[in-house]
Amino acid sequence: MQVINKDLGSYNLHFIKTDLFKTITMKVIFHTPIIKEDITKRNILSDILLQSTKEYKTRRDLTIKSEDLYAADIYTANQRVGNYIMTSFILQTLNDKYTEENNFEESIKFLHEIIFNPDVEEEKFKEDKLELVKSNATLALNSIKEDAANYSLIRMSEAYDKTSPISYRMTGYLEDLDKITEENLYEYYERMLDNDYVDIFILGDINEKELLPIIKKYFKFKKVKKRKASYYLPNKKPRKRRLFAKETTKNSQSKLAIACPIAKMTDYEKNYSLLLANIILGGTGDSKLFKEVREENSLCYTIRSNYNRLDNLMVINAGIDNVNFDKAVELITKNVQDMKKGKFTDADINVAKEFYKTSAESLMESPSRIINEVLTEEILGVEPLSERVRKIEKVTKRDIIRACKKINMDTVFLLEGGNK
Amino acid sequence: MKKFELKGLDMTLYKEKFNNGLEIYLLPYPNKKNYFISYATHFGSDILSFVDKDNKTHTPPLGVAHFLEHKMFDQETGEDPFAFFSKSGTDANASTSYDNTQYICMGTKNFRENLRYLLKYVNSPYYTDANVEKEKGIIAEEIKMYDDIPDYKLEAKLRECLYKNSPRRIDIAGTVEEINKITKEDLYECYNGFYKPNNMFIVIVGNFSLEDATEVIKEELKDKEESTISKIEHIKEPKKVNEKELVIKENIEVSKLAFGLKVPIKDINMKEEELDLYLGMITNMLFGASSEFRERVRKAQLLNNIYTEWEALEDYRTFYLMASTKEPDKLLSEIKDELSSLALPEKVFKRIKKVWIANEVKMIDDIDATMYNLFDDITKYNKVINNRLELIRKMSITKLKEVVKKIDFNNTSVVKMLCNEKED
Repeated sequence: MQVINKDLGSYNLHFIKTDLFKTITMKVIFHTPIIKEDITKRNILSDILLQSTKEYKTRRDLTIKSEDLYAADIYTANQRVGNYIMTSFILQTLNDKYTEENNFEESIKFLHEIIFNPDVEEEKFKEDKLELVKSNATLALNSIKEDAANYSLIRMSEAYDKTSPISYRMTGYLEDLDKITEENLYEYYERMLDNDYVDIFILGDINEKELLPIIKKYFKFKKVKKRKASYYLPNKKPRKRRLFAKETTKNSQSKLAIACPIAKMTDYEKNYSLLLANIILGGTGDSKLFKEVREENSLCYTIRSNYNRLDNLMVINAGIDNVNFDKAVELITKNVQDMKKGKFTDADINVAKEFYKTSAESLMESPSRIINEVLTEEILGVEPLSERVRKIEKVTKRDIIRACKKINMDTVFLLEGGNK
Repeated sequence: MKKFELKGLDMTLYKEKFNNGLEIYLLPYPNKKNYFISYATHFGSDILSFVDKDNKTHTPPLGVAHFLEHKMFDQETGEDPFAFFSKSGTDANASTSYDNTQYICMGTKNFRENLRYLLKYVNSPYYTDANVEKEKGIIAEEIKMYDDIPDYKLEAKLRECLYKNSPRRIDIAGTVEEINKITKEDLYECYNGFYKPNNMFIVIVGNFSLEDATEVIKEELKDKEESTISKIEHIKEPKKVNEKELVIKENIEVSKLAFGLKVPIKDINMKEEELDLYLGMITNMLFGASSEFRERVRKAQLLNNIYTEWEALEDYRTFYLMASTKEPDKLLSEIKDELSSLALPEKVFKRIKKVWIANEVKMIDDIDATMYNLFDDITKYNKVINNRLELIRKMSITKLKEVVKKIDFNNTSVVKMLCNEKED
């Protein structure tokens, strides 16, 4: 695999050459510091751009065109990455070796059409199209509680810190939806093109010399931009007493979600010690939480912990029976304490290291994970993967204990069921 | 060992059947780092009762196959299989479906050791009163978790409408009441009946050598004896759907519609692997992403999201369409219109063929997807379809129309899930 980065002033172009795939993947990412009130608009924008363009007047026309390009997959995604929101346009199609000539150039042209040639008139999106995507968004926002596990995480993060981007709902907000008009959506679209940082990735068995002029021809942005704001969120002031919050539902099962902020991590702790700590505590089916809460005490079917270095946060969640709430919290607390006291073995550490290495090795199986890795190295300034694999080997028990001492079980949220 | 070229995909599949009946399927990749191993039995929730060699009939509590799967992870040695695989950073899991149970591991190293261990632990049942009892709480939470998912309940209700007797009416995990009745004896009876080489198979895909795989499998499984089951009770399912329509109310914010079409396949004289392509083609042309139907219901704001799939039973194929919609009745009438007009233009037919061909080529890049594809073939057809690209290329609109003629498009069930009125 070979990565070739080109700074084209208004965007960064990344060629990732590999012969591991029969497909070519292209990803265009717009990123900007996240603003709560803009999330809904951004969702609507990426939806409406996939409804129609100047040349393809309906969603069906767009779908037919992508099918004609040898079933090119085209989709958009919005995600929060620390302090930023990223909107990605992703295209994946077969390499020209398996199709007719120029299928990939045609696909690039098609992606260009979607991003740069929206179905607008007089600087306004079409009324019927906007109404349609808004109606879909309304339904989605109204059924947010159907995914109880996800809803419990949202409510937990709101209880944890309402002002932090961690608590922003990526599905958006009904009150913001109402404010979106054909005009202000178009203004927002123009702003995104002009001001967002842009990265373009092309991954596959490609010839970058042939592709460069084609990309330059289709992808042009007006302004030259340099990233400024950090992707990392600032540390939150620790709470003096643990906060308990709950909401009742008519579900039969309860969902427990716990926010554990990690104060003032060093870069080394962020990228090494805590990754291992998380795997040991709740990252796998062999973790301490899984063994003790599920296998030994039969309190749940699912339990896991997730760690996000950008948010300085570890989240523990489980599906439990209401009556076991106290016992589950007690056991989870004990397990977190055990991590701080070093009550885990060298074997546990080795297992976590092996998981890390396997995950690093299997990265090469997935185009989207490879792209994500190259992007992460660049925007977060983390060391290359091979270097990280080398360094993770050297993490000691003492390193992990020291990092775990910074974990604070701050907010415990229960989405209470059992009230049928 | 027999060799099969996966035609048009530059891959070779190896198959062997041992004397004790065990079948193995091996698909090595030259340029991948990962491997994916599945050790599976043709035993899932579809089997409700069976007769042993002493002519005794067993009817264990519902959900026994899934319960047994959970209990495979308890070993007499006290070693936890997850812990073993973890040592080499290998992921392990298991799952039970209607017609099979599989034990899998996915990793990048220690191939021989992991394969050997996978076979060993699945071959070592250890059920005690205490460990069976302990599992009941965990599985009860699993059942409750699914109970709380409205889409899951919608599908369950549709199954009850489509089938009169078939075990597909019943949840794979059973019910809390039934699993509480399960004993270690039930588990041993099922294990001895179905976890035997002549009822099992192994699929391996990805980065491994054929020699390593066959050597380990032979060493581990050569002494295993065959199953003692003499008969599996076959449940007769009538051709007609059980119930045409059902309306239920749930605590949801947007109503839902589930639509099912039941197709008895004995009357359609066509090889199943070919028939499945044609059935998929019909519903793809009518309801797929680029269909006129989608454009129409989208414009009329009748559809939020939609999910479609075909399910395979021994004598049936069933089409499921599930959607979130503000107006279930209007959406239903659109679906019915589509099925009565049955517009199947050749241009669309050709385009979808092209899409499928591209998708076959894309899929082979992905070890997981390829694994599940092989696995599906084996459970559905008892063999791997190694010429699917060719079958797709050869599909004709004439044959499509012949299939259409043999289907009763009125043999359908509908479930409407409406929103409960809000309490103040």
